[in-house]
Formats: sequence, structure tokens, C-alpha cells
Amino acid sequence: MSETRADKAPSGHVADHTEWIEVMRMQTTYHGTRSTLFWLAVRITVLTAITLGIYRFWAKTRLRKYIWSSIAADGDSLEYTGTGLEKFLGFLAAIVILAVYLGLLQILLFFVGLSVFDAANTSGQVFLQFGTLALPMLAVVPLIFFAQYRIHRYRMARTRWRGIRFGAEAAAGGYVWRALAHWTLTLLTLGLLLPRQTFWLAKYKADRSWYGDARFVQGGNWRSMYGAMRHVLTGIAITLGAGLCAAVGSPVLATVGLLVGLVWFAVGLVSYRVRAFAYLTTHRTLEGGVGFETAPRTGWIVRQMIVGSIVISLLAGMILGIPGGVVAWLVALDIVPIGLVIVPGVVLYMVGLALVSSLTLVWIVQPILAHVVTTLTVINAEALGAIRQRAGDTGADAEGFADALDVGGAF
Amino acid sequence: MSTGAGQAQGSKPVQGRFFDGQGAARHDVSVVLSADRAELQITGLSLADTLIWPLSDLRALRDRARNDRMTLTRHAPSDYGALHDAARLTVEDGALMAELRGLCPNLTRRDMRPGAWRRLARRGAWAVAAVVLMLFLILPRMADTLAGMIPVEREVAFGRAVVKQMETALGAADLGGLDCKGPEGLAALGKLTGRLADGADLSYVLEMRVLDHDMLNAFAAPGGQIVIMRGLLDAVSGPDALAAVLAHEIGHVEARDATRHALRAAGSAGLLSMVLGDVTGGAAAVFLGERVLQASYSRGAEAQADLFALAMLNRANVSSDGMAHFFDKLAELEAGMRVLPAYFSTHPESTGRAERARQNAATQGDVVQPILSEREWQALLAVCDE
Repeated sequence: MSETRADKAPSGHVADHTEWIEVMRMQTTYHGTRSTLFWLAVRITVLTAITLGIYRFWAKTRLRKYIWSSIAADGDSLEYTGTGLEKFLGFLAAIVILAVYLGLLQILLFFVGLSVFDAANTSGQVFLQFGTLALPMLAVVPLIFFAQYRIHRYRMARTRWRGIRFGAEAAAGGYVWRALAHWTLTLLTLGLLLPRQTFWLAKYKADRSWYGDARFVQGGNWRSMYGAMRHVLTGIAITLGAGLCAAVGSPVLATVGLLVGLVWFAVGLVSYRVRAFAYLTTHRTLEGGVGFETAPRTGWIVRQMIVGSIVISLLAGMILGIPGGVVAWLVALDIVPIGLVIVPGVVLYMVGLALVSSLTLVWIVQPILAHVVTTLTVINAEALGAIRQRAGDTGADAEGFADALDVGGAF
Repeated sequence: MSTGAGQAQGSKPVQGRFFDGQGAARHDVSVVLSADRAELQITGLSLADTLIWPLSDLRALRDRARNDRMTLTRHAPSDYGALHDAARLTVEDGALMAELRGLCPNLTRRDMRPGAWRRLARRGAWAVAAVVLMLFLILPRMADTLAGMIPVEREVAFGRAVVKQMETALGAADLGGLDCKGPEGLAALGKLTGRLADGADLSYVLEMRVLDHDMLNAFAAPGGQIVIMRGLLDAVSGPDALAAVLAHEIGHVEARDATRHALRAAGSAGLLSMVLGDVTGGAAAVFLGERVLQASYSRGAEAQADLFALAMLNRANVSSDGMAHFFDKLAELEAGMRVLPAYFSTHPESTGRAERARQNAATQGDVVQPILSEREWQALLAVCDE
């Protein structure tokens, strides 16, 4: 996992100048290995299934400890200090609040949806009316934004490097209404204001984040992020062009155009995430003059996603398909009664889920993370030495809301 | 203890990286295991004093990615997170690492904060209480109240939409495409419904439909829409049995059961998936949970609908022997399958229901008369043939 990158320092300078540049620039490295992470993931997934999900708090903790400690800058690894117990306690606290809030709000919103129900005659009207019954889902949206900020804050508060804590301010409320406003704007403009949303929400989080007593500052501006959107927009343009071809009666061209446009759009979304991340990272600084440089490559990441998916399907297909096929065959030939295979079937299903999630972790998530980490450089790193410790953050609910609402991603 | 003496008798000094937990600066240090094998001595040019870390306090960070090094810290009280001191020492010397593993009894211990179990029990009790109260008390009560507040015409509109959804789900190419339209059969069905409803004070206008589908079932949608599947017509022993099934469904309509269940499910679905989490097999767990909940509510509703049906049959002078036969048949079908435990089943046990119908029939005496003539019944059976 140690991809080396050509130093950008111009050649031909005196030796001590080069050395000075090396001191200033700190390359981050990734040290996780496929096999260790895979077996860790299998173990914790099985334990989670056996304990009916209770172990998931400890599983997430162990996974993060492994991933965090895989990331090193100047040879010193990150450390994750969260515990499974505090996550479980936070989850229990969140449950009390969410049970009451969600239960009451969802039943009331459904009642409102029912009360506006009127006679519908066409399938379209029926569809629309069932749409109003999806109203209860809206009750969850502000909570999801709340949970997103809380999980960011908890992760920061439980991350250390060189013994110094990261941290984020208690500002979830401000994040919720900003996120609601930005999402509304983005949806109303059919996604055209997405860069604005990405930038301001990232800035809100970054400007309230700290390493020790030094604050992060998000520079740059949202208009510059339209460059990151170009492949998304190209994909849309090609798809629209295909629509035009269909309208003027050129079905072959329309089909090819549609296919190309949709694939372009999908890759464009990945490209947008990568480029937006790169833009935000290179324009982010840490008080005291520490900066960052990054150059993740979309092509590499997309290739890894495709190759990873193929490997995962082949491996999972071989490992699960053969026993599954044998069982199905035995049942089909009446050699084994169906009642006997229910338990093995459920076990196989669980093993399958554990296998696929673990394989995804080592074939897609970890390689991409390793790529992002190894292409990141900390600039003016010696300024880090002056940073002092910050006070701890008890993080009362840990990330209980995020867990209950299933916000947060792979780890 | 002087540093020099310690080094003379202790282990060979090895290099280490030390972070004091106060600032982010790295201290390159020399680490020595003391002669009595009781402590680590840490010295460095940038450190003011030699640091002494007793081995009994020593903890190594767990689940680390790199095996070629060990990051050490000390046990210390803390209000949250792991019970670790803020200082860290990383060593890469294999011999020292091996020796520490042998010497330190608590190197990989997970320290629990005092009172952790008590906190866990207290929070757990709160969470369980909140969820149980919501699922079994507050949401069902609210569903009952709110169902009564919805105007009948809205309920009827909702019921129509539900039936249309169901038709689509059953494979109707266009709405009404599965409808059975035999005029004589429908007339017979109308007569049967009329006799059942006669004298019963119903708050809904009943709308009966027969759909051409093999499923052995009948549904009561909100607002008086009752859908009978052809599979049910084929299976019942005669018009009295069909009347019993319809009376049962009318009972559901009058009690607004479908509306209440929809409201309750809207409140509890999000809650359930939240509690059970998105774990491996989480979707299956949520499905089973919803099933258990549904069963606990609807068994009561089914028993009520049975009572309603018996009363309706008695008023209409229809023998409940047909009902007994129908449940006997259901019991036979269930015996062929692996029977679900009672708490998974949404219906009460069929043999018990058959028994109650038979007991009722014994009290009905000779006032009963067939609800349809043989000719009308044959026409109803053929309602889907056109």
C-alpha cells in the first residue's frame, strides 16, 4: 500500500534546501493489509449476528481502531479512542428520545396524509396519493442531519494523533437548518446548486473542527467547485442529446447515446466526490500555517470499484453458490425435506452477508482509502509541533442517533 | 534512582517515540526496562526528567494495524472513553515487545469504569420501557382514536386506493381487469349481502367484488370495500360458509380494523427498524418484529370479528354450521403445513374457531334457512366464467 509519489520539489537545488523541503512536507502513509482486515471484519460481523446486533457497537469500535491505526503521518499512526460501551449507552439514550419523537410524529403525519385523501380515478392519482402517505418519512430528515453532525463530532473527539485530540464544536442545531435549506435549494434547482451545498456544509463542519488548540479553516469558494461537476454535466448533456435523437426518430443513436450518457453520469458522480474532496482539502488549513495537498485520481478509484465488484461477485458466488446450489438441488429432488434446510439456509444467508460486507471492505473501501491517504501531503508540518492539547469532549450520546438512524457509512 | 545505574543493570536501551499528551511535539527517547523488571524508564534530550512507568499500569493499544510496533500508555482514571493517560510511547524493538507481553499482566486488559454495569442497566431499562410503551400502549391507543377521527368519505377513498394497489399487485393489467362480472352471480352476491346487512346498523355502504385469482382469501379494505378471491369461492362448502366469511369481513370494516392497523404500522415501522438496526439480517429481524406486533394486535381483532360474524348470522337466521365447516377446512390445510407458533400467526387457532361456531349452531334451533337457493349458489360459483 505504499504508493510513492514524485516529489514536486524542483531539482537542481542545493542539498540542504531539498532536505528542508522534506522536513516541511509530511507524506501520509497507509499500513492496513487485506488479510488482517478481512478476518477482523468476518469475526466482528459473525459476533454481531450471533448477539442479534448488540455487538455492532464494539464491532464498529474495533474496525475504526484498525483503520485509524493504519493511517500514519511521519510514521505516527492515528489513534481511535472510542469505546463500544459508550456507543451502546449513547444508542440507548437516543432510543428513548427517538421512540417517542418518531412514533408520535410518524403516526400523526400519516393521519394528515389520510385526511387529505380524496377519490382517485387514474393510476397516476393513486400513485400521487400514496406519495402523501410517505409523509412520515419527512419526520426523519432533520434527525438525519442532526445525526450526521453528531457522528462527525464524536469521530473527531475520539481521534488522536501524537497523543493530541481532534475535536469539533457542539453545533449540530446550526448544521440541521443549514443542511435543510441547502438541500431544498439544491432540489429546487435540480442539482445545479450542488457545489454550493457541498462547499458551505463542508465549511460549516471544517471551521468548527480542531486539532488540539488549532482550528481548521476552510478557504476557497463554491463557484470554483463547478469544475468538479463537469463530468456530471457532460453525462446529463449526452443523455439529453439522446432524448433529442429519439424525438427526431433515430432509435439506434438514441440507445447508444442514452447508455453512454448514463455511464458518463455515474462515473461523473464519483469524479465529483473525488474532485470536491480534493478541492476542499487543498483549500483547508490548520491555524499556524499547516496546509494540505492531495491528488486522488478518479480513474484509479473507478477502476478499483469495478475490479473490486467483479472480484467480490466471483468470490462470493463461488463460496456461497456451490453450497446453496447443492442444497437447492437436494430439495428439488425431494432427497431432503424443505423443513430441514431452513436453519442451514438462514446460516448460509448470514454467512453470505458477512462475506460480502467483509469483501467490500477489503476490495473497495480499504484500497480507495489507501489511495486517498497515500496521495495526501501535509505542508509546513513542522508547525504542528507547537500545537497544544485540547480539553476532552464527553460526547454524551456518542453517536447513538447516527446508529439508530443508520447514518454513517462503512465505518 | 539515577538513569545511569538503571541502564547498567536493566535491559539494553531501545529507541522509542514519546508524546507527552500536552503538546504535539515528538520526543525521541531511549527506553529501558529496569533491573527489577518492574518499570520502564524513559529518557530523552527533550524531556526534563526520566519518566518512570510501572509495568503494572502499562496498557498497549488494541486492534492496531501495524504488528511491528507497540503503542503503550498508562492506566488512568477518565470520565469517558478508555481509561488511559494522554501520553503515548511507541516502541519497535521486537525483544522488548515480547518481554513486555510476558511481564505485564494487564497489558491488554479492557478496564471498566466503576458503575458501568449500573449505568448500562439503568439506560437499558429506560430504553426498553420507552419502546414497549410506545409499541404496545401509546401507538395502538392513538391509532384507535385517530381512526375514529377520519371522516367516512376519506376512509372510503383510502380504501379504494388500497384495493387498486392490491389489484395491481395481483397482476391486473388495468384497473377492473380482474373483476368477475357474471350478472346472475353478482345478483346472488347482492342478495346474500343484503340479507346479512338487513337489520344490522352498519355505518358503511358495503361494496362487494369478486376478483379472478386463485388465492384462498377475502380482504376488508377501509371504508366498506370487501374483495373476495375466486379461490375462496371454490373452496367454501356452500353459501352459508361464504356468508360467514363475509360477515367476518364486515366485522373488520365496522371496527375500522384496516385503518387502525395502517395507522399503527405507520407509527411503529420506523421505530422497529431503528431499534433492531441495520445489522446482518436486520431486514429479516424487522420483518419478524412487525409480524409479531401485527399478530398481537390482530388476534384480538380477529376474535372480535368472529363474534360480530356470529351475531350477524344469528340475526339473519343463517346457520353457523357453514362457518364451522370453513374453519375445519382451514385447520386441515394448516395441519398440512408446518404450523407457525401462535405469536407469529395473525389469526386465532382454527380448531377453536370451528368449535365456537358449532356451539353457536347448536343454539340456533330450527329458525335457520339457507341464505341462497341452489340455483343462485351455482350462479355465484360461475361468476368469473364470463
